[in-house]
Amino acid sequence: MRVYKQELFKIQCVVNGRRIRKTIPSNITLLEFIRDFLDLKGAKQGCLEGECGACMVLVDAKAVNSCLMMAVHVHGKEITTIEGIPLNPPLTKGDGKGDLEGMSANLHPLQKSFIEEGAVQCGFCTPGFIISARALLKKNPKASVSEIKKSLTSNLCRCTGYEKIIKAVDKAKKCNW
Amino acid sequence: MPSIIVKPKNLKEIWKILPELPAKRKYLSGGTDLVASANNRLDDSGCWIDITDISDLRKITETKDKIFIGAGVKIAELKESKLVAKWLPALYSAVDKFASPSLRNMATLGGNAGTASPCGDGICALCSERAEIILEHFGKRRKVPLIDFFTGPKKTVLRKDELIIGFEMPKWTHSGVHLKLGPRTDFAISKAAVSICIELVKGKICSCSIALASVAPTIVMARKVSKFLETKSLTSETVEKASEIIKTEISPITDIRSEAEYRREITGILLQRALTALSN
Ligand SMILES: Cc1cc2nc3c(=O)[nH]c(=O)nc-3n(C[C@H](O)[C@H](O)[C@H](O)COP(=O)(O)OP(=O)(O)OC[C@H]3O[C@@H](n4cnc5c(N)ncnc54)[C@H](O)[C@@H]3O)c2cc1C
Ligand code: FES
Ligand code: FES
Repeated sequence: MRVYKQELFKIQCVVNGRRIRKTIPSNITLLEFIRDFLDLKGAKQGCLEGECGACMVLVDAKAVNSCLMMAVHVHGKEITTIEGIPLNPPLTKGDGKGDLEGMSANLHPLQKSFIEEGAVQCGFCTPGFIISARALLKKNPKASVSEIKKSLTSNLCRCTGYEKIIKAVDKAKKCNW
Repeated sequence: MPSIIVKPKNLKEIWKILPELPAKRKYLSGGTDLVASANNRLDDSGCWIDITDISDLRKITETKDKIFIGAGVKIAELKESKLVAKWLPALYSAVDKFASPSLRNMATLGGNAGTASPCGDGICALCSERAEIILEHFGKRRKVPLIDFFTGPKKTVLRKDELIIGFEMPKWTHSGVHLKLGPRTDFAISKAAVSICIELVKGKICSCSIALASVAPTIVMARKVSKFLETKSLTSETVEKASEIIKTEISPITDIRSEAEYRREITGILLQRALTALSN
C-alpha cells in the first residue's frame, strides 16, 4: 500500500509525451498539479464542480474533469493537455513552459478549424472543448453532428452560442489527420 | 482537502490499516461527489482511502443466475459491457442520461450509492433491476436489497468504515428503460426519473418493477402500479391507467428544482413514455 502524507508523494507520469517525476503534496487535484507544478496554463479553473469542462484533459486517452481528480490518481498514467494537442509539436521547453511560437506552426486540425470557424471568442472554454472533441474524434472519427453535440455536453461556453464550435468540430473531422 | 490519502492495493490491506488512520475518514472512488464537496470546503475528512486500485471492485462478472458489478466500475464502462447490455437494460439505458461524457469516465456506481442522493440515476436503475448491494466490514460481508440501503437523503445503512463491494442483480429475461426529465435534455439533475423493467410473455406483463428518483427523500419503488401492470397487456388503455395510478402513489415535494404538482404530473408522463417505448 502507498500512504501519501502531505508533501511526500513522488509522482511519475507522462505529460504530453514527456516523462515527469515530481514530489508533490498528495492532496492536490490534477488541475493544480498541471497548472501550478508543471506550469501548463492551458487547462483552466472554472467552476471546480465538474460543470464547465474548462479544466478538461485526457488521462489515458479519456476526457476527464481535472478539477475533480486527485493528482495521485494519475501516477503511472498518460496525460494530454491542450499543450500536447498540436501536431508534431516542440511540446514543452526544458522548463516545462509552453513554446508558443513552435505551437502555432503546428496547430492541430481541430485548433485550425476553431480559428477558421470563429469558434473562439474569449477563449476560456476553448482548451476544454478541443480536448473533448479530440477524445470523441479519436474514438469515433465519423461522429455525426448529433454525436458531436452529445459529446460536447461536458463543456460550457458563455460566448459563442455553440453553433460555431459544433461546426468547427464537424469540419475538423473531415480533415485528414 | 484531507492531509492524508492512502491507497490500499486490496481489501485485506484496507482492514489492516484502518484502525491506524485518522478517525474522520472516507473512501474515495471517482471523486465526482467527494472532490467537488472538498473543493467547496464542505468536506472535513482528515483522510481519504483511495479505492481505485482495488481490482475486485472493478469487475463485471456473471454466475448462472446473477450479474455482479463492482462498486468501482465507471459509469462509461457499463456501456461497453456485453453483460450489462444483455441482462440489465434499464441500467444500460441510464448510462447516456448520467451526468456528462467526461464525468461518466470518472464516476462509479459505488459512489452513486455512497452519495445516496434521491436523484441518483445509477441507483434508481439498479433498484428497478432488483439489485442487492454487497457490503464488507473488516472482512465480514452482508447483502441488503438496494432499495432498503437508503434511509433518507444522503443517508444509508452503511456502518462506519463499511465498504460497498458491488451490486448483484438477478438474471431474468426482460426489457427495461430509464427516463428522466430535467431542465434540459442532457447533463441535468432530474426533476423526476423513472426506471422500469418488465417481462412480457405473449404480449402480457408477467413481472414488473419500477423505481423512481427525485420524487421522495430516497429512491422509491412504485409497487402499486407495478402490481396493477402485472397480468395486463400493454394496450394504450393500460398505459393511461398506469400513469394515473402512479400519480396517486407518490408524494413529491416542492424544492429549488421543481414543484410538487409538476413532479407528480411528469412522473405519470414519464411512465407513459417508458411503457410506450417498451411496447414497441
Ligand atoms: C456536475 C455533476 C453532474 C452530476 N450528474 C449526475 C447525474 O446526472 N446523475 C447522477 O446519478 N449523479 C450525478 N452526479 C453525481 C455523481 O457523479 C455520482 O453520484 C457518482 O456516481 C459518484 O461516484 P464517484 O465514484 O465519483 O463517488 P465519490 O465522489 O468518490 O464518492 C461519493 C461518496 O460515496 C462514498 N463511496 C464511494 N465509493 C464507496 C464504496 N465503495 N464504499 C463505501 N462508500 C463509498 C464516498 O466516501 C463519498 O461519500 C453529478 C455530479 C456532478 C459533479
Ligand atoms: S473547473 Fe472543472 S469542470 Fe469546471
Ligand atoms: S469563448 Fe468565451 S467561454 Fe467560450
